[in-house]
Amino acid sequence: MAPPAKAITSPVPDAWYPTLAVFMLAIGLVLTASFFIYEATSSKRNRSLAKELTTGGGFGSLFLLLSAGVYV
Amino acid sequence: MESFRFCFLMLTIAILASPALSDLVLSKVDRRIYLTSHIVRISSTMKVENAGSEKESKVLLAFPEQQAKNMAYLIATPHEGKGKGKNPVVALPVEAANPKDMPAALTLYSVSLPKGLAEGDSFTFDVLAVFTHALRPIPEQITQADIQLVLYQDSAHYLSPYAVKVQSLSVKLPDSRIESYTKLENTKIHGSEIKYGPYENIPSFSYSPIAVHFESNLPFAVAHELVREIEISHWGNVQVTEHYKLIHGGAQSKGEFSRLDFQARPNVRGASAFRYLVANLPPRAHSVYYRDEIGNISTSHLRGDSKKTELLIEPRYPMFGGWRTAFTIGYGLPLQDFLFESDGKRFLNITFSSPMVELVIDALIVKVVLPEGSSDISVAAPFPVEQWQETKISHLDIDGRPVVVLKKTNVVPEHNQFFQVYYHFSQLSMLREPLMLISGFFFFFVACIVYMHADISISKSSASYLAKQQWEEVQAVIQQVQNIISRCLTTHDNLEASLRDLSRTGNIQACKAARKAADGLLKELSKELKPLLTFLQSSPSAAQVEELVAKERELQEKVMVKHSTVVDGYEKKLGARDIENRVALQQQKLTALRQEVDDLLEFIDEI
Repeated sequence: MAPPAKAITSPVPDAWYPTLAVFMLAIGLVLTASFFIYEATSSKRNRSLAKELTTGGGFGSLFLLLSAGVYV
Repeated sequence: MESFRFCFLMLTIAILASPALSDLVLSKVDRRIYLTSHIVRISSTMKVENAGSEKESKVLLAFPEQQAKNMAYLIATPHEGKGKGKNPVVALPVEAANPKDMPAALTLYSVSLPKGLAEGDSFTFDVLAVFTHALRPIPEQITQADIQLVLYQDSAHYLSPYAVKVQSLSVKLPDSRIESYTKLENTKIHGSEIKYGPYENIPSFSYSPIAVHFESNLPFAVAHELVREIEISHWGNVQVTEHYKLIHGGAQSKGEFSRLDFQARPNVRGASAFRYLVANLPPRAHSVYYRDEIGNISTSHLRGDSKKTELLIEPRYPMFGGWRTAFTIGYGLPLQDFLFESDGKRFLNITFSSPMVELVIDALIVKVVLPEGSSDISVAAPFPVEQWQETKISHLDIDGRPVVVLKKTNVVPEHNQFFQVYYHFSQLSMLREPLMLISGFFFFFVACIVYMHADISISKSSASYLAKQQWEEVQAVIQQVQNIISRCLTTHDNLEASLRDLSRTGNIQACKAARKAADGLLKELSKELKPLLTFLQSSPSAAQVEELVAKERELQEKVMVKHSTVVDGYEKKLGARDIENRVALQQQKLTALRQEVDDLLEFIDEI
């Protein structure tokens, strides 16, 4: 018989979903806001800032979806 | 009429044919027919003996053709004995058989015995056969006030290709009225149980038809079609959605339906209707919903404990004979109860059929939706099913998720066993979803940048366009000047800090070193400032900028003077009071100047 089966769970514990969602979304929103402010006030743009923002916003929205019950 | 013809055929065969297929003899057969539900279950305990000389390894079970058409489930197990066996029961392999010299009106199955049966040996085993649609409602149409009577036909003698020495039959009926039943010899009735037998030394293929006509008010819930969708998300959830199309499979309801009568006296007007359905969901089921095309149905109750979650639902109207209803039940299950990993492959271990109690399903379709990126999909089911693959496009999907579709007809609650779906999934593929969200945001920001950069004015030589261009250039230079001035101010702050350090530690060398560094830095900054200032001469806001620069120069000088005075004071080892007095006046001017510079900076910012 095959070796005893090990149960599979999500890589991030379920109970952390709402907390993670709030924190990552907060970080993402703050970075997004600073990105837009920077863009609006300066005449030479900074490109690398965009990359930082995407990770904050991306993971934050993923955990928001998961904590709301939309298991993507 | 059919039974008469069948009986005649059987008698003919019994007389004419002499099947010498084997020398097995059934020494004892006890049959129990359970009619306490609309699903008919026949449980037989048989003791087979080898009266011949050859070793036998197969026993044949015969069913009349009409009965076999309705058969949904057949299982044979070794007999347990009086006490409950501790070992899990292993079913004996049963397969359809087609021996040559058998009458065509019989359907035969052969049970393989675990060890062959030698001469004189005997073996006891249990056979459970489950039949659907075996109860015929007679009369076929009833009004709301009539009671529902159903007819069941079978044989008092066990129909078998072997001779039977001793047999008995017991028919268990629900606790209601028995309209009529066939009375043969040795027939006794105890309450709601009819006993036929014991009969001794009955030849093979003997068929003695009996019919029982009785009242049955049990819910005749038949699902004409059930689509069960199981969606796995590796983030921690298995979502099960079941779409039901239910029919009441009993006597058709004719005439009008009076809601008033039904609610006033439900047991008289509408005894055969059913209102409730019970489903036993797995434990720890969450987010259970019950809705149909109109919307949510609120008449339901949910109760959970550690073994199961019981869902009691009440359709929008009571179900009378022939009436239909359609609804959807959905619930989520925790992933770790159902998804496992072994040998590098993941597998889902979940029940096949509906969790509803005593439900007959005419066509069951189970769709297992695996996450995107699964490969090498295979299914292990405990009974034969029809299967094929599809694709489903769901949240955050690029190509779609692979779906394994399993189909089975004539399903009874005994089919609600675990089945497994094996597939291969690399852990890295889980990053696919966050990466999609991240790239979405990334493209949005890039789009904003492109928009800001893009020059979409039509005329490139109009006065307003050129003026705008110039203004933007001036703004850029002013921002650079501001930047430099801020850096100068920071250097001043550093010097002040070094003075404070001096007063604290008395380290004159460090102070002097700081001064040197500050001097160097300020020189560089003024060099950077020069070309910008020349550029700004031509523009209108030059005046403020020059003022700013001039003030800043003044400030710089004053700071330097103050710094030298303080350092000298320390070198000459004067008291702190003295130093302060010397510097006091300058300090005042310094603070005033600093304030002015800051104001100017703000003012320029707002241009």
